Amino acid sequence: MDQQRAAYSTESVVAFCRFASANGLSGGLHRSLAALRAVKAVGSGDREALRFALRAALCCSKAEWDLFDGLFKAFEETSQRTPEAGPGRQKKTAEGSSQREAPRQHLLGYDAGDTKPETEGKAVAGASARERLAKVDFSLVPQNDLARLEELSLRLLRQMSLRLSRRLKSGYRPGPTDLRRTIRRNLAHGGEPIVLAWRNRRPRRNRLLIFLDVSGSMNAYSIFLLKFAYALEKHFRQVDTFLFSTSVVDVSDALRARRLSGALEKLSQLAAGWSAGTKIGASLHELNRVHSRKLRAGDTIFMILSDGWDTGAPEMLASELRAIRHRVRRVIWLNPLLGLADYEPVTRGMAAALPHIDVFAPAHNLESLLALERHL
Amino acid sequence: MESSLHLKRDPDAASPGSAGRQPLQDVDALVQGFGQLNYVADRALATAVFLAVQLRKPLLIEGHAGLGKTEVAKVLASLLETTLIRLQCYEGLDVNSAVYEWNYQKQLLAIKIEEKSDLTVEEKERHIFSKEFLLERPLLQSILAETASPVLLIDEIDRADEAFEAFLLELLSDFQITVPEMGTIKARHIPYVILTSNSTRELSDALKRRCFYHWIDYPSLEKEMKIVSTHLPSMEADLRSDVVRFVHAVRQLDLAKPPGVAETLDCGQAVMSLGKHRLDEEVVEVTLGCLAKSMEDGQKIKDAGIRELLGNSE
Repeated sequence: MDQQRAAYSTESVVAFCRFASANGLSGGLHRSLAALRAVKAVGSGDREALRFALRAALCCSKAEWDLFDGLFKAFEETSQRTPEAGPGRQKKTAEGSSQREAPRQHLLGYDAGDTKPETEGKAVAGASARERLAKVDFSLVPQNDLARLEELSLRLLRQMSLRLSRRLKSGYRPGPTDLRRTIRRNLAHGGEPIVLAWRNRRPRRNRLLIFLDVSGSMNAYSIFLLKFAYALEKHFRQVDTFLFSTSVVDVSDALRARRLSGALEKLSQLAAGWSAGTKIGASLHELNRVHSRKLRAGDTIFMILSDGWDTGAPEMLASELRAIRHRVRRVIWLNPLLGLADYEPVTRGMAAALPHIDVFAPAHNLESLLALERHL
Repeated sequence: MESSLHLKRDPDAASPGSAGRQPLQDVDALVQGFGQLNYVADRALATAVFLAVQLRKPLLIEGHAGLGKTEVAKVLASLLETTLIRLQCYEGLDVNSAVYEWNYQKQLLAIKIEEKSDLTVEEKERHIFSKEFLLERPLLQSILAETASPVLLIDEIDRADEAFEAFLLELLSDFQITVPEMGTIKARHIPYVILTSNSTRELSDALKRRCFYHWIDYPSLEKEMKIVSTHLPSMEADLRSDVVRFVHAVRQLDLAKPPGVAETLDCGQAVMSLGKHRLDEEVVEVTLGCLAKSMEDGQKIKDAGIRELLGNSE
């Protein structure tokens, strides 16, 4: 009987792992094995113990943790229903396949109101059904200036200023003595410290966080700037890109496609509120709250690309931007409108933001982006 | 289900208050064991700890500050009656302060003393790079444990940099450390590893994959009451209820640093030492510093109206 119970749980645990990884948890063989061992350790009789064990084994972040209970419940409901519900299916004795099918189908009903099930669960988790999911066909965008953008991004990144980390390593300039090396080197002199070795601070590259406005007012520029972001992502790992209009979407993974067309295709699947209104303050707030770990203290350069037309409260924009500035190394605001001859940053949002910006620069064409070199 | 994975060293170390029950026999026993050591653990946390101990995998605990993440390791160590080895991470933490370091002063002296001896250079070298001159830092200590598996607490791993994390990966999979001058040291007793993180940055996937995961959330009203009564047994029930309810109301506000359980206890302690029996507006105002850890947060609490927060909570 014990044997039987074990066999049953192995099947269903594996089925659940597959179900979970298809719906937003980071799965993989490794995790499934961990889950199996965990379930075995707690004994699979108690439903709650089973849930806790699976959660400890399968989750690896707060986001997944929050997602888990819903998934578990959904899976449980379907697997309870399947045996009686599908007499036709019982012909197939391969239990695994029928169980694998059922939860997927169920999930269609489970959150079909929110999103299309085949989109990536993780990216979609942030977008709600109430959002207007306008989609844009990026593949029609001409790609002739891409090569130049890439060339430019390489130049920019080479220039990215180096920051000294607090970690010391052996170096050639005088500094704190590296006793370890000193002793090693001077064994030949009978231990008399004649040749000294030093420790210096190690340079470390900055990270870049791009916060790109894709609201209606930015329509003319957002594709161009998105390509700029793509070029940066392609050559530089330490770049994160977020799109925002009324909410925030992390598109770093989508942009890391090998070809621009692939990246744009992925992007068009993401609900980013294309051409919607702008709530810069609220979006910054969301960034601060949800994605705060990307704003790493000290070594992140925060680059916001927006025209500053904001429908939210300017006070919120100011306070959120101040909070970000406290965390990051530098705040750069690129405003495409700044390229216009007679532009003055007098919109309420822009005026509120200005005191909290380190660099305020135009970004309407390649030349203006080239000028960025100085600030990174 | 009988498990004999690690129990081989437990029989002779029957813990004092467990009435013959092994503290790690199952999840319930673990909850009970934690309870006896004044740690109110729910079944979810106990399950995670149980799995980490049984399956010898590290446990990563994330959550906001002041919710007892570090305490888990301490309690586990006393439950297992083993030593706790703690490594506090910080920016710039390197192998020298985490793993081992040579005692340079002693080495220099030894070289001087041996100057006149007939030893060859090789012999001298072997001598000054022997165990006698090795300063064991936490990670090496945990590997060198002689009698039983220690609990290794790697606190606030998110503060260390990625390079250190990568090093840790190697340690956590092999439990061996290589000292170039001495060779490879393999753990005789594999430590129980607990990592904590305040999630100020994302940990690498590779590290997370190796761990069980637990997210500590703010406790429910009932649980927090229980925690407070465990830690402040002399507190009157009315006051306890006042404080806990007030803290729960404060957590609903959009503060930069919502108060954790540690703050609740601080606040309770403060109010008690002021000799108050109920929580009112005046008392809250003078003890506000226990809950609000920045001027803005304090202002937000005041703006929301202390009276309302107290009222809301009833």
